[in-house]
Amino acid sequence: MADKYLVQPDIEFINELRATGGESLKSCFQCATCSVACPIAPDRKPFPRKEMIAASWGLKDKLLSNPDIWLCHNCGDCTAQCPRGAKPGDVLAAIRMKAIKEYARPKFVADAINKGKHLPLLLILPAVIFIVIGLLTGFLDFTPERVHGEIVQAEFFSQWLVDIVFVPLSIWVVVIFAMGLKRFMDDIHKNAVAEGKTDKQTIDTKGFLAALVRVIPAILKHSRFSECSENNDRATPHMMVLFSFIALFIVTAVFFITLYVFGIHGPYSQLHPVKILANVGGIVLIIGAALLMKQRMDKTDEVSTYKDWYLLWLVLGLGVTGMLTELLRLADAAFLTYLIYFIHLMLAFHLVAFLPFSKLAHLVYRTVAMAYNEYSGRESSNA
Amino acid sequence: MSKKYGVYICKGCGIGDALDIEAICDVVEEEALPCKTHDFLCSEQGVDFIKKDMEENGTNTLIIAACSRRVNYNTFKFDGCIVERVNLREGVAWSHPRDEFPRLTEEEKQDEENFDRVQMMAEDYLRMGMARVEKVKLSEPYLLETMSRKILVMGGGITGMSAALDAADAGYDVTIVEKEAQMGGNAAKWRKQLPIQPPYEELIPSMVSEKIKSVEDHPKIDIRTGTVVARIAGQPGDFTVTLKKPGEKIEFDVPYPLPPEMRVDENGKELEHEALMEKYREYNEGRRDILTLDPNGEKVGAVVLAAGWRPYEPGDDEFPHLGWGASPDVVTNYQFEEMASAGKITRPSDGREAKNVVFVQSPGNGTDSDFPYTGVVTSMVALKQAQYVREDYEDGKAYIFYQHMRTSGLAENFYNSAQQDPGIFMSKGEITSVEKTGNGLSVTAKDTLLGENIGVNADLVVLGTGMLPVTYDNPTVNLAYRQGPGFRDNDIFDQYADSNFICFPYETQRTGIYAAGAIRRALSVEESMQDASGAALKSIQCLESVNRGISVHPRSGDMSYPDFFFQRCTQCKRCTDECPFGAIDDDEKGTPKPNPTRCRRCGTCMGACPERIINFADYSIDTIGSQIKSIEVPSEDDYDEPPLRILGLVCENDAYPAMDVMGLHQKSFSADVRIIPVRCLGSVNVIWIKDALSQGLDGVFLLGCRQGDDYQCHFVRGSELANIRMQKIGDALSSLALEEERVAQYEVAIDDYDNIPGIINSFVEQIEELGPNPFKGF
Repeated sequence: MADKYLVQPDIEFINELRATGGESLKSCFQCATCSVACPIAPDRKPFPRKEMIAASWGLKDKLLSNPDIWLCHNCGDCTAQCPRGAKPGDVLAAIRMKAIKEYARPKFVADAINKGKHLPLLLILPAVIFIVIGLLTGFLDFTPERVHGEIVQAEFFSQWLVDIVFVPLSIWVVVIFAMGLKRFMDDIHKNAVAEGKTDKQTIDTKGFLAALVRVIPAILKHSRFSECSENNDRATPHMMVLFSFIALFIVTAVFFITLYVFGIHGPYSQLHPVKILANVGGIVLIIGAALLMKQRMDKTDEVSTYKDWYLLWLVLGLGVTGMLTELLRLADAAFLTYLIYFIHLMLAFHLVAFLPFSKLAHLVYRTVAMAYNEYSGRESSNA
Repeated sequence: MSKKYGVYICKGCGIGDALDIEAICDVVEEEALPCKTHDFLCSEQGVDFIKKDMEENGTNTLIIAACSRRVNYNTFKFDGCIVERVNLREGVAWSHPRDEFPRLTEEEKQDEENFDRVQMMAEDYLRMGMARVEKVKLSEPYLLETMSRKILVMGGGITGMSAALDAADAGYDVTIVEKEAQMGGNAAKWRKQLPIQPPYEELIPSMVSEKIKSVEDHPKIDIRTGTVVARIAGQPGDFTVTLKKPGEKIEFDVPYPLPPEMRVDENGKELEHEALMEKYREYNEGRRDILTLDPNGEKVGAVVLAAGWRPYEPGDDEFPHLGWGASPDVVTNYQFEEMASAGKITRPSDGREAKNVVFVQSPGNGTDSDFPYTGVVTSMVALKQAQYVREDYEDGKAYIFYQHMRTSGLAENFYNSAQQDPGIFMSKGEITSVEKTGNGLSVTAKDTLLGENIGVNADLVVLGTGMLPVTYDNPTVNLAYRQGPGFRDNDIFDQYADSNFICFPYETQRTGIYAAGAIRRALSVEESMQDASGAALKSIQCLESVNRGISVHPRSGDMSYPDFFFQRCTQCKRCTDECPFGAIDDDEKGTPKPNPTRCRRCGTCMGACPERIINFADYSIDTIGSQIKSIEVPSEDDYDEPPLRILGLVCENDAYPAMDVMGLHQKSFSADVRIIPVRCLGSVNVIWIKDALSQGLDGVFLLGCRQGDDYQCHFVRGSELANIRMQKIGDALSSLALEEERVAQYEVAIDDYDNIPGIINSFVEQIEELGPNPFKGF
């Protein structure tokens, strides 16, 4: 008898998936309609049927380290065609969230972020941090003065305070991701070798990076996402959000550099190219987030859980508060603009600090998994 | 009855267009019978036309030449009259369209060497119809002198109790016989029961106690616990039943026929009658003969056999790869149920909690079949028992490995709900080994849904073994029939008490005995209850037919029955032996004793009798023989190239309807063939074939049902017996210097209408090759 796999079902794991959007997972009767319906599953060892079976058996070890859960874009074609109402798309989304929590440390942060009851506390957390550090350092000025008669946010909430908080936070995030990704890469490679999805024995860094470079254009173009038929209209708003984040990231980076290298302070003129990029990015972000929310609300046959709404509200909130801050500043409403700016920074804290723990972590995991898939040669080799 | 004949020819439905009706009338009038035609005989006017003629002329013997006898049956049914239907529509006009069989032109008609085959066919059918009615008599019902309307239910389990309640609620007296001291049967031993009604999602408490109460409270139900049936003698409507305590030996215990090895001498030759009787008496020492009725016996009219099942116990070394026998922690589903109903599920080896339980539905070893004697119910039981594991332990895990998850109908809901349980894991797969490990069992499975060989650590392994019908162990019904106390040929049903599963549920091979529940097939409680209703209704149908002197099934309502002309009987016992239903007993001398209410009117005895002394009023050696003789056989005296004449004896159950459909689809076949429907190929007496060939017919074919283990014969053995007889006739034919190939038997099914023309035409071609019958014209 050849080697056998010792099955060790984890009932707790099943219950958790069911409670976080995968309620229907036990309804699967293994017909494989999902794997056939999926426009982006590879021909060799396609998903999501095998993931559905593993999920109904509670085989945590086979799922969290499985790169295929990240190749899925949750386009919902499988869910729409499932004759049993097992909603594979939603089950895979729940598994991904569980994987994010599994690879992010410390674990309690992930647990807290993905449960609605902790939200009020988590919302207050950045405010408390800002106020405490602000008062201790004096970088928070509740009676800010105007500069040449104009409102300057930095007079209220010093740029130093922003950076004291956000620079270490960013480093923290990078470290957490680095730790998680190390394990993640090892695991998905082991899984791919075990399940015969790759011929490669080890991950060679150069080859992997080359693969990463090859998949980046596809990610930017959303070429995979666009293959979906059920949620095809989600691809464009998702692209809007992604590109606006990239734009706003560039804006932030430029301002950061000009501030520390050239000592130039904001606010910038509305005609400044970077400012134009910022404004366009903000508007596109709001529109993209709003469209995504509307599509989720219209799609009643698919499950939208707390993790989805948390992220969407966060993105929308960031966009809205960002634009409002600027508008109120231009409207010369000092108190309101300071208040909204404060909230904007609170939301930004959420976005950055909780990046490795929230659904947004897919940004990293999916990219890595897609790069790995490209690297593994699974798509090009014969099944 | 003095017969007053009338022939009515319908010209509708294309008959009048295809045939020369006047010429047909000439044929009728040659026989000095009145011939009347109508354009639309099955219309109200048409029927009135017949009725008027009956009133005016006292016509009571009607030959209606129109459509097949299988259509417009009630339209052309006239009480107290003999009615013969000549099939001109499906049999002639429709199956021989004129574009394929052109009629003669006026010019061709001038030459006497020309003939119209289709017209000849129609005229022959008229002759045959007239010949038949001359010979048939009106059937008189066979009525019992005394009749019991009580129903005996054998078995006090869920099926027996349900059948008893159904029959009693319909107004019949019922006696339930249960061998155990308590009512309830196997289902009384369950922890929980499978659902019996929508939404079919949850297990329910056992229904047994509720049923027992209803049965006990019912004024029409008499309960005998601790009782078994020693023998059932007599016939439906008039059974004499002897009851006894289990294990008791009494003089009315049923005698057994001699086993084959005792029926022969040292040289393997069949013993003489006297010697056989001597041995038989010795063999059944202390038991009265079947024909001796118990004076203290109880009278019943029909029997519901619901004696149930016992668990299948695997042999010591039957499933070694499943750990059976090697570990006490490998149990059957029956043992598991006993354990579950006694309390928490534990390991038999050490009494520790059994939280990981593997249910095995198929023994594997290269086959994908389930364990023997299983069915839908064993899949359902696995789903049920898996839930016990989950009830007993919050962290319990139940694994079901199956090759077939059979959950028919709405039972699918039950599968769905079991599947939702996070602790129940199911996969198709084959168990390759169950081995003892340090602390429990290690189960290995291959070809699973997980796509690889998998291992499971288990505390307990449950084998989904089956339910053996009690008829596996002994005849149970203990019928005082000459053919023996049990059901004949039960091997082909794996000893389930059954007759023909799909066509005739509940009907056993013994009229008046209706099987229900797990004795018929591995069934759940719900299915058993449905079965019980079916068998109760069947037994009521039996009583309500016997009291009218008509056949119960499958020829429901047939009033004719076999009539024996005993003066000429040679006591050859062929009728007794060959009756598929054991309807005929015989006495000390071997003279047959018919039991008409056991009879299903197939005519197998008539076909068997070498002396031809068994006949029915409306179906006899003579009626068919006269029809055959009335076929005109043209010879070289008539034409330079006379057409062939071929006789087809066609079973009216499947083959004849298939031929009607063939006509409906305008599928044509040779017009030189003459078809005579027969009740069953088993009723075909070889004398008909001999007569046909000696009068110059060129060939005879029999068209009937499939035989063998997957037979489709309505009377179980008919086509098989016909086949044996046709083989024997081959020898007789060669002694007459006739080719054996002139007689053939074909098997068809009711949906074979498309194939029958090919079968018939190739037979005709074969006869053409042989050339005409040399006896033609003698």
